[in-house]
Amino acid sequence: MRFSLAIACKNIRRRPVRAALMCIIVLFLSFTAFMGGYLIISLQNGLDGYRARLGADIIVVPSAAQGHGTVDNVLLHGITGNYYIPQDSLRKLDGIEGIEKNTCQFYLTSAKASCCSARVQIIGFDPVTDFTVTPWINSNIDSGISDGDIIIGSDIAYPADGSIRFYGESYHVAAQLEKTGTGLDNAVFTNRNTIDKMAHSAAGTVERETLKDIDPENAASCVLIKVKDGYDISAVADDINIHISKVRATPSVSMIESVAQGFGNVSVFISVITVGIWLISVIIIIAVFALMMNERKKEFAVLRVAGASGKMIVSAVSAEAAVISITGSVIGLVISLILTAPLSESIRNHFSLPFMQPDMMIMLFLSVGSVVMPFLIGVITAVLSAFRITGNESGLLLREDA
Amino acid sequence: MKLTAEKIGRMYFRSGRDTNFFYAVQSIDFEPEEGKVTVITGRSGSGKTTFINMLCGLLTPSCGKVMLDGKDIYALSDRERSLLRNRSFGIIPQGQTGLQCLTVAENVLLPVSMYGRAGEKEDKAKKLLEMLGIDDLWDVYSNELSGGELRRMSVARALINDPGIIVADEPTGDLDGDTTVLVMELLKKRSENGAAVIIVTHDKDVMPYADTVYTMEKGVLKKQ
Repeated sequence: MRFSLAIACKNIRRRPVRAALMCIIVLFLSFTAFMGGYLIISLQNGLDGYRARLGADIIVVPSAAQGHGTVDNVLLHGITGNYYIPQDSLRKLDGIEGIEKNTCQFYLTSAKASCCSARVQIIGFDPVTDFTVTPWINSNIDSGISDGDIIIGSDIAYPADGSIRFYGESYHVAAQLEKTGTGLDNAVFTNRNTIDKMAHSAAGTVERETLKDIDPENAASCVLIKVKDGYDISAVADDINIHISKVRATPSVSMIESVAQGFGNVSVFISVITVGIWLISVIIIIAVFALMMNERKKEFAVLRVAGASGKMIVSAVSAEAAVISITGSVIGLVISLILTAPLSESIRNHFSLPFMQPDMMIMLFLSVGSVVMPFLIGVITAVLSAFRITGNESGLLLREDA
Repeated sequence: MKLTAEKIGRMYFRSGRDTNFFYAVQSIDFEPEEGKVTVITGRSGSGKTTFINMLCGLLTPSCGKVMLDGKDIYALSDRERSLLRNRSFGIIPQGQTGLQCLTVAENVLLPVSMYGRAGEKEDKAKKLLEMLGIDDLWDVYSNELSGGELRRMSVARALINDPGIIVADEPTGDLDGDTTVLVMELLKKRSENGAAVIIVTHDKDVMPYADTVYTMEKGVLKKQ
């Protein structure tokens, strides 16, 4: 084995271009294996998070908010808005048949000005009626939310003193939520009393002049509705759209479907690219190794003449392929790890899909897999090619190249 | 060390057809003498190289046996036959046979290093290269050598293990007159020390060193 390894290392040193080319092909295999898996799992995680966070059967938003501060935009992209449902419309909801329960959320965007620490979407919910945010928040923190407290999304940085300022007032950060891969990672949650206080403060600023006409205690940015069993969700949503003006009711399943369809398209695209690159790389590896072994017939014949057994030659070839494959696949993995952040951001922005990085165990599994699989393909291909050559009689190999 | 070929022959198929075959070597009995130089001549394509490749365990005969000290070398496993070739045979193949990833020293010591004894034979390798006039090329990679230098390197490699049987296919093919003398003197000296030396050649300058001469014609070996 020592001899085989020594011959392998000398071959690599004396043929750096050949070794580098092989390394690059294996690197492609490793890179696509990791990136393909990483992107698909991240998108699936994001979709699951999105589905879990939506939590209601119907979402009602003001007609004016369509395409801006709607709940799906907040959930997906963290796009914020300051649109409110008129009070008379809210009251009419009580007359719609089939609604089991509903809860209002009040959205407020912090300003870019010096009054606020950061520009984020602030979501005020009513802990008494809420059935969407509260279960999730309770799974992240032990105690409920008190007046003056805020709970922040995972992507929001906060100072060491544990408070964030909005519209001139400081609010205590009670907890930071786990990452969801949705726009909620950039949102701040608080109870209705606290957001009412924020809205009153904001109403005095130039940025939020529109709030002067709103009574925060009785207004809402959206209403989340749970439909009674036995009622058709789409029919209830249609009923709301028909009977209540200035609002738009959307079944949440249609929002999920559109995101899921986007996810499906992107994951098919990524899978096709990944499988395509894999197929091409494997074919190239097989062809290159076969050509390389053919070119080295004379070398093998000389080793046989000097007394090397077929097994020794196969060991030398395996050792060389192993060194090249492990180098290529580790470099491929390092490049993948470096590129995960910018590529994730680009996919998230370009395809408008929720995106959540896999946990450490999955990342570890992907990393090991993206090194081991190309390594095995490289070594097995080389060994099979070497077996094919050493299976021929040495006397014939010598004659072929004489 | 007694090498015996018993009615060995080698058949080849043309274009992969089962019925279209020919015998490159036809049922030859052969026993090179220890301590003698045996030269085999003959026209190109007469079967000389096929014959000596069968003698040294590189090509399985289609019929017959090759015995070394009473053992059929083709009945051994690949590992056993390879070790036997390493210890008992010194083979100088036709053409250029340097491993490009190795220096001249590493090429010469190749048969020793593959079984882990390279350190023991360095002095011997230096002495052989000196005798062949290429000791100054010790650290040079083999792809930087001329044809004649490569040939001398492969002669040194064949002799490094003090083999009992030396098989040389055109050992003076790339050499000038003076260097031919150097190589042949060295091979002659080995035969005088007890080795059986078998040389395939077209080179008339080799003939004066021959103790026995054979001619190969259409796969049939005839003693002259």
